[in-house]
Amino acid sequence: MTVLLTGKKGEQHLLMGNEAIVRGALEAGVNLAAGYPGTPSSEIIENLGLVAKDRNLYVEWAVNEKVAAEVAAAGSFAGLRTLATMKMNGVHVASDFLLHLALSGVRGGMVLVACDDPNAHSSQHEGDMRYFAPMLEIPLLEPGDFQDAKDLLKWAYELSEQLRSVIFFRSTTRLSHASGQVVLDELPANDRRAEFRFDGFILDDMTGIVMSLPINFKHPQLQQKIKQAADLFEECPFNTYTGPPNPEILVISSSASSLYSIEAIHLLGLEGKVGLLKLATTWPLPRKLIQTHLAQARQVLVVEEVLPFLEENIKALAYELAGDIGAKPIFGKRDGALPTYGELNPDLVAGALSKITGAPLPQRPDSYQQRISEMIFFGAPARDITFCPGCPHRASLWSIENVLQMDRRKGFVCGDVGCYTMALHPMNFGSLKTAHSMGSGTGLASGFGKLGRFGMDQPVLSVCGDSTFFHAALPALVNAVHNQSNMTMVVLDNSGTAMTGFQPHPSIEKNAMGEIAEAIDIAKVCAAIGAEVALCDPFDVERTQEALFQLIEKKGPKVLILKQMCALSPEKKGFRKYEVRVDPKACLGEDCGCNRLCTRIYRCPGLVWDKPNKVARIDEIVCAGCGVCASICPAGAIHKVLSENDKGREAA
Amino acid sequence: MQVFGPNELVADVFQKDLCVGCGACTELCPYLRNHRGKTGMLFSCTRAQGRCYAYCPKVEVDLDGLFALMFNAPYEGKPIGIHRKVLTAKAGLRMTAGKFQAGGVVSALVTYALKTGLIDAAVLTDRKGLIPVPHLVTNPEDVTKFASTKYMAAPTVAMVNKGQQQGYKRMGIVGTPCQLTAVAKIRANPLQKEEFADPIGLAIGLFCTWSLDTRRLLAFMADKLDVGRIHKMDIPPPPAEIMVVETDQGRVVFPLSQIRALVPNSCSICPDLSAELADLSVGVLEGRPDLNTLIIRTPKGEDLARNAERDGFLITAEMPTENFEHLCFAAGNKKTRAFEQLRERDLVNTDGGKRAALRVNASTLKRIGVE
Repeated sequence: MTVLLTGKKGEQHLLMGNEAIVRGALEAGVNLAAGYPGTPSSEIIENLGLVAKDRNLYVEWAVNEKVAAEVAAAGSFAGLRTLATMKMNGVHVASDFLLHLALSGVRGGMVLVACDDPNAHSSQHEGDMRYFAPMLEIPLLEPGDFQDAKDLLKWAYELSEQLRSVIFFRSTTRLSHASGQVVLDELPANDRRAEFRFDGFILDDMTGIVMSLPINFKHPQLQQKIKQAADLFEECPFNTYTGPPNPEILVISSSASSLYSIEAIHLLGLEGKVGLLKLATTWPLPRKLIQTHLAQARQVLVVEEVLPFLEENIKALAYELAGDIGAKPIFGKRDGALPTYGELNPDLVAGALSKITGAPLPQRPDSYQQRISEMIFFGAPARDITFCPGCPHRASLWSIENVLQMDRRKGFVCGDVGCYTMALHPMNFGSLKTAHSMGSGTGLASGFGKLGRFGMDQPVLSVCGDSTFFHAALPALVNAVHNQSNMTMVVLDNSGTAMTGFQPHPSIEKNAMGEIAEAIDIAKVCAAIGAEVALCDPFDVERTQEALFQLIEKKGPKVLILKQMCALSPEKKGFRKYEVRVDPKACLGEDCGCNRLCTRIYRCPGLVWDKPNKVARIDEIVCAGCGVCASICPAGAIHKVLSENDKGREAA
Repeated sequence: MQVFGPNELVADVFQKDLCVGCGACTELCPYLRNHRGKTGMLFSCTRAQGRCYAYCPKVEVDLDGLFALMFNAPYEGKPIGIHRKVLTAKAGLRMTAGKFQAGGVVSALVTYALKTGLIDAAVLTDRKGLIPVPHLVTNPEDVTKFASTKYMAAPTVAMVNKGQQQGYKRMGIVGTPCQLTAVAKIRANPLQKEEFADPIGLAIGLFCTWSLDTRRLLAFMADKLDVGRIHKMDIPPPPAEIMVVETDQGRVVFPLSQIRALVPNSCSICPDLSAELADLSVGVLEGRPDLNTLIIRTPKGEDLARNAERDGFLITAEMPTENFEHLCFAAGNKKTRAFEQLRERDLVNTDGGKRAALRVNASTLKRIGVE
């Protein structure tokens, strides 16, 4: 059983940031949590799902982030403490609802944990969600370390119930996915009952109708809440200062950036000159607290990741305060001391501090630098970003690319968000020609498919995963069918939200708590909408290509569902359907007739080029036994036989 | 003959819009495929030399080399090529009357060659809707199923490559001039590998002034008739200037001026009307819809015609001089026009390392009046 449940008050445990957030929610007595998977946020709902039964929680993987926020808000309206989780993209998806939720207010404490991904390690952009706080007028909290991640979240519930406002709680990859020591508090009794009251005075926060109207009442009320939040933030125990009373330089930071700042100050030996104000309450800013620290410092450096959100707000405040405290030079991103993209690290912060103070940066010994150069040059083999061995996406995209190239009408695929996004890369067939947000591939295809009247006669395809299908591609398909767009949507159904760790979604027969759930059939949904639907196993390359040829020849909206479980899914991992081998005598190698199709173009990592013998061979350790390479080999040199474990499984 | 690789094929043929879709470069590897009448490269291939380039009838065609191989003679640029006899002909009484176009000579010769074992399979062209598809026929009784002219550039030569992989050693092929140019290049075994040795037992040529691009024809006809219901197409001899398409919903007639717009660009550089690189060539005979023109070019072709006639599969007669002269006139015109095009586009006998579409000896080029 997880320590998140069994850990006692006063115990210290090494917790991942996301685990600390979960424990914080449990210590706050959270009743309900809903989210949509997205790195780096996914572990929060997963861990809450594991303890749901013991803590009497309701935990849900929602169809998308907007619905997750709505499910969490419903719990709050009925008086429960609730949590919504998502990565930063999700805040954009949920923002329409959140804009209204800010105005309607909440009842039970509601916190929205949004995880940013600076440097886009697992994303297609590095959007900075903090700007939503002033835009939607929702208070923003940011934990500075792992203990904060737990304790600040608990505090966020108190704040939410005091203000009757949803609270933004922002984490980043390095906080969510790194681990640190966390001292635990106790778990409270969990006995809240849900009741939605609507029988009081219509505008009463707790018993009236929950709505954003009337604006001339609700908007000033919301702004009053923000003023109140700023006042409460003056005393927030998670805003801390360390350093000399009158620092030469005041570093103002938040989130993981405060950890980099501590390290950078130490690296340059500037503890006596530089102070660090770590802010947990980054919007609205606590005016007096900032004023006190600005007044004591000569210069200021704002350290934060991606855009100069904090810097701009502090500068605005400093301008207003200039009459009292004088003009202070404030460095950060706008002057170029720190970059406005990518992640920070201690070196970057030290570089900025060194530039401002003149303190020398510690030099690496030449021998160390030399060793690095050697290792990079000789030691590190080039690796492409590519599909796993046995990945159904490789087979699906192989068929798509073959069909489009044979068709020769300059057909193209609108990409979407999933592992298959790697098909943007020429090494992975380069079939995708657009890539945006979830579901937008099908929305774009719906648009492209209507350009015939302007002379466009290229076949239009879109791809999306099974989870993405429900998340946001479904309305786009409805649009394509209603408007009779000439497009083919290919659903790459690998039976789970694979890229983020196999979280269930609406076509899976279980929910976030491991209970049986209603599985929705994608093919039936598409057919009911009115699209022509075909279903194939992408490992059957011939049938898949035939089906695709037929569909792209036809007008109107079509759907091809390519269903095959992800090679890494827990149900499949370790099972090899086929034992695969290459007959070296039949392998054409580099000769005319093949020229290494399998290792040069198809490029499954389970196939390797035996350079001395000039033949392909199977890497038996890596091969997942899907057998697709046997059907693409032009010489019939790759043989597959049903493996023993699969025979056993079939018999069972 | 100089042999290059797939990258040069892409540059010289696809990018210059010279591909006629004959299928010679396909069914050799997974990279080049023909789909619905159009050939293309699916993925990059890095080989410096490939059969794709070596077999293509639109690049580095060494006519002297191919004529030496077929006839042991140089290419002299004569209007209808090398020939032993030019006759009129029709199918003999042993041929069951079928749906022949004109005299049924091609069907008769192929049936006879299969029956007598001169060839072990016949590469013919079928049509699915409007898409021409090659077929390998081993049963002589099946030959007439594929009779009638298709008029479209067809990937027929692909079946030669496929048949070779299947182990056929002396296939017969019925093809247009470009297809038979490719076949002659295949027979030369340009990569000099045992497994690619000459797989052809008989080459029967079809007269051709131009063909039609399948995709363009499809697009042209799609909104005018149900292409799935076409059962016969015909271009009656001049001065009709029409194309007649028979469907099971009736007859549709198109003016040839509309149809000519659908001719592939590469037909304009083809100097061959009568399929010169054949054992025998067959075409229509003007003014006699029941007869064919038959050009006998090689001893093998001569033996076949003689034996077929002896065994009742073929009936031949002298060719009227007027018809012969008219054929030569038309063939000569096509040749002159093509060589002018080739020279204009700098595609013939290029030097300085520049790749050519066609190479012929200098004296022939001079005689044709191009140099």
